[in-house]
Order: sequence, then structure tokens, then C-alpha cells
Amino acid sequence: MDATERFLSRRGLLKALGAAGAGLALSRWVGRGTTMAQEPASSGAIETFTGPGANPRWNSVGPYVTEPQKAPLLLLTDRPVQLETPRHYFSTAFTPNDAFYVRWHLDGIPNNVDLKEWRLQIEGNVAKPQAFSLPELMRKFKAVSIAAVNQCSGNSRSRLQPRVAGGQWGNGAMGNAMWTGVRLRELLDAAGVKTGSVEVQFQGLETGSGPKGMASSSFLKSLDLANPVLDECVVAYLMNGEPLPMLNGFPVRLIVPGYFATYWMKCLSWIRVLDTTDENFWMKPGYRIPDTPKGNTTPDDVKAGKVNMVPIAKMPVRSFLASPDGSSKIPAGMTVTLRGIAFSGYGRVTRVEISDDGGKSWSAAKLGEDYGAYSFRTWEAAWTPKSPGKHTVAVRATDEKGNTQPDAPVWNPGGYLWNRIEKQELVAGIAG
Amino acid sequence: MQMNRRVPVAVLVFCFALTLAGVGMYAELKKGQYQAATLGQFPQTSPSESLPDSQYGGKAYPLYAPELVAGEGKAEVEGYCSMCHSARYITMQPPLPAAAWETEVAKMKKTFGATIPDEVTSKIVRYLQAHYAPETRKQ
Repeated sequence: MDATERFLSRRGLLKALGAAGAGLALSRWVGRGTTMAQEPASSGAIETFTGPGANPRWNSVGPYVTEPQKAPLLLLTDRPVQLETPRHYFSTAFTPNDAFYVRWHLDGIPNNVDLKEWRLQIEGNVAKPQAFSLPELMRKFKAVSIAAVNQCSGNSRSRLQPRVAGGQWGNGAMGNAMWTGVRLRELLDAAGVKTGSVEVQFQGLETGSGPKGMASSSFLKSLDLANPVLDECVVAYLMNGEPLPMLNGFPVRLIVPGYFATYWMKCLSWIRVLDTTDENFWMKPGYRIPDTPKGNTTPDDVKAGKVNMVPIAKMPVRSFLASPDGSSKIPAGMTVTLRGIAFSGYGRVTRVEISDDGGKSWSAAKLGEDYGAYSFRTWEAAWTPKSPGKHTVAVRATDEKGNTQPDAPVWNPGGYLWNRIEKQELVAGIAG
Repeated sequence: MQMNRRVPVAVLVFCFALTLAGVGMYAELKKGQYQAATLGQFPQTSPSESLPDSQYGGKAYPLYAPELVAGEGKAEVEGYCSMCHSARYITMQPPLPAAAWETEVAKMKKTFGATIPDEVTSKIVRYLQAHYAPETRKQ
């Protein structure tokens, strides 16, 4: 039996099992009240998709599932695994490891790693290729820690109009952790980057079933050796003070502070110095954005070939309201606490503001502890619905470079860079 | 009817055999191992059963196969598309215009190297357009 036959027979088996299992699962799920803005579908079944309009919910609509080393998370896809973090986790600065979202590109995800065999190789255009075991990484190099947000390039893709194909993320393809490990620069220096080198390429243990050399067989990402972010990159073996979950990249993961997660190679095992520009699919045309202001364009301009595409890089400023999430009515006149997080890939968040009058006036929220420029920054604000009825609360953040979230949509063919001001409808009732 | 009843029994026996094989193969379990699971079950984390050796991780990832809409081309979609990814990549999408499905399937062949014969390709595209486009998608 080759791999294909084996899988096909497994599919047949799943289908036979699925009918009974699915009915059971759905009937158990109904009534759990996960909906935010909408009533559950009248059939009583949970939704499997949204569109062609924008996804109206905060998160994606997938069912909750439990994967190895993980709390129940929202399922986008099972093979390869893509899981979204539920909204309620975003009122604290650090996202728990077991709740951290998951995104893989190819189905050959490592199930386990043997640390006796595993080595981090530094190879390519270097003077002395290196292969470090985990104990060597921990012993030979100084441990450094950095709080940094990891956000999928396609976070909030389900907001785009018109919708684009791809992982239909709500807002939960992001998380913040305290990452501890060794500086990428020290590893490169140990190997000695030769003159004439151009880029450094990263490869993890993930492989796919596609033909060798194609995008479906390996996932490779590269950064320019002249990019100053390399000085801030960390090869992390700790995530919030614990080993990384397998699904988040055990044993080590590349941390690229301020940059979208596509560069944060999981199960990092090869650091390869290149003397040419990497043009593998995952660098070109994959993960590219228009070189226009805010990465915005239109389907017509793309079709007309008018758009110059460049690799995605830093994350635009964003802020989120975690709670209240609109699932509970608030008595009019009661002062409640609005809570959430904000971040920017361009530097620390300096201001978070709230508006409940459609953006005519904004009032400052109180910022939480500062864990560094690349961390989530928590915020909270007192808010009182003055009268019974529907209220809309909006939140926007500004970073130290003066970037403020716009109240305008973004569209590009990859479904990247969404950072529109978030709004939440909250219902106030008669207090008595 | 009798034929239908026999299938689950055979399936269960096969599953059991797989489970046994899985235990024996634990040490070789390295990459891309998945196993059928049921939606709606949320086991709490249990104390680690792992040994103090150099192996970390080890569990297969659960598969939650979605039921694709019945129709001409469904078997081909399940057969060819599932070689690299689960059918959830289809059911997760918003309803996509006919042209978008054509682009997606072409990308799978050209960029990702899916070896789908041309006559099957058009069948797959027609199936996706017939059931997963704005005009057609119901579930």
C-alpha cells in the first residue's frame, strides 16, 4: 500500500464512522451559547462557514476541538492542523500555551521529536557549518527573553469583502508569549556568514506529500541578511517558561519580533545562509502584499496586473475588546469594565481609546503593564450605557510611531493586514 | 441493507487492528500521523504517560472528516484533494465564485504539484462550483 492508498482507505473508514459520530456531536453542542451577534442556525446545527458577506463573529465559526497538549480551540482545519484561540483569552497580556493558536502549512507535522537525534543545523554559505543539540543551545549561548506577539498573516481574513480563499480566520489567529532562547545572531556568528551572502533561510521539520521541490513538499521562509530585525530574532526553546507544545514548534521556534508569524519557523532545524534571493513559493508569490499604502488594493487592479507585490513584513497596529463580548445584557446606568489587548509591529502601543458615539469622540483607556515594544499591552476602561437600547463600542490603538487604526477595510488577494477598528454591539436593558 | 450493516463491523475490526498496530509503532511515530476522532468530545488533559526517554510529543492528531455534499464528482474530490489536505479546506471556505474554484484547483496542480488527470480536474471544478459557490452553497 502506498501513502495514497492508505489514506484513501482511511477516508472511507472515516466516512463510515463519521455519520454516527457527527449526529451525536452536533446534538451535544447545541445550546452552549457560543454565538455572539447571531442566533444559532435554525436547524440546530453549528455553522460550518460564513459568507459571501463578512464573517459577523469575533472568532471563526469552527467547532471546538481538543488536540494534543491543547485546551479546546476552534477548528479551521484538521489536516494540516489550524486552530483558532477563542476570544475570552485576550484579556491578559500572555496567552497560555495550551490556548495558543495553531497554523501549519503541510500535513507532515511532526508527532514527536527525538532529542537524541534532533540538531539545529547552521549551513549554507558559512565558514564553519554547525549542528547544535538542545543542551548545547542551552549551555553554550546566553539565554535571552522577549515578549512578542505572534499573529498569522491571515488573521481576520474572514472580514474581507469580497471574501478571498484561504484560512477563514476570525480574530483569534494571534497570541503573545514570553519567549526564551538564544539570539539568532550568535548562532550565525558561530558559523561565520561568508561575504556575498544575501539571505538567511529557515526550515522546520514540517513536510508535505507533494513532489519534492514543490511548495507542497517543504515550507521555507527567508529574511534579508541586512534586515535589522535579525538582531532581535531569538531561537526560542521556552514559551511562557515551558517547553513549546509540539503544535507550536517544539523543540525550538524562530521569534521574529514585530513580524507576522509566517517567518516564525516552527520546529526550526535548518538555518541556511543563501548567496541568492529565495524565490521558493512561500516567499514568491506566497505571503506577498501590495506595495501600496496599508497594503490595500482592488480585485480589478490585481486582474489588470497593476499591483506590485512585496513580501509581507511588520504587523500594523491593532486593538481588541475581549469582554464584554455582547452575550449578556447590561442594566442601563451600570458601570462595567471593558477589557482587551493592543499591539503593533512598529513599536509600543502608546494609546488605546474607546468611542460609543460612532467615532465622534474618543476617551483614553488605561494601559496595563508594559512588557516591551512587541508584547500585547492590556487595556481597560470603565463604560456606562446611559440608556436602554443598543450601543456600539469601538476601540482603537495608536503606536509610538504615530500609526493609528483606521476605520476602513483592507483588501488584498492574500487576505492580509486587516486592522480596521473593532466594534462591538452591547445591549443595555431597563435597570428597574 | 445487509451489506450496509456489515460495513461498520468491518470498520471496527480494522480500527481495532490499527489501534494495536499504533501501540506497537509508537517509537516510530514521527510525522503526519492522524486518527479519526469525534466532534463534541473534550477530554481533560491527563497526567503524562510518556517515558523519561528522549522522545517528546507522540500523539496522533485527530481527524474530523466533514461530510461533503453528495453529487457528481464527490468521490474524485475526496480522493485527489485529500492526498495533501483534509476536505475541511473546502468546507471552511466562504462560498467562492466559479472562477475562484477554477483558480484554486489550477493552483493545486501547478503550484503544489497535484497529479490530477485533466478529465478529473474538470469534474472536480464542476463539483465545487455546483455545491460551494454563492448561488449553490446550502450547508
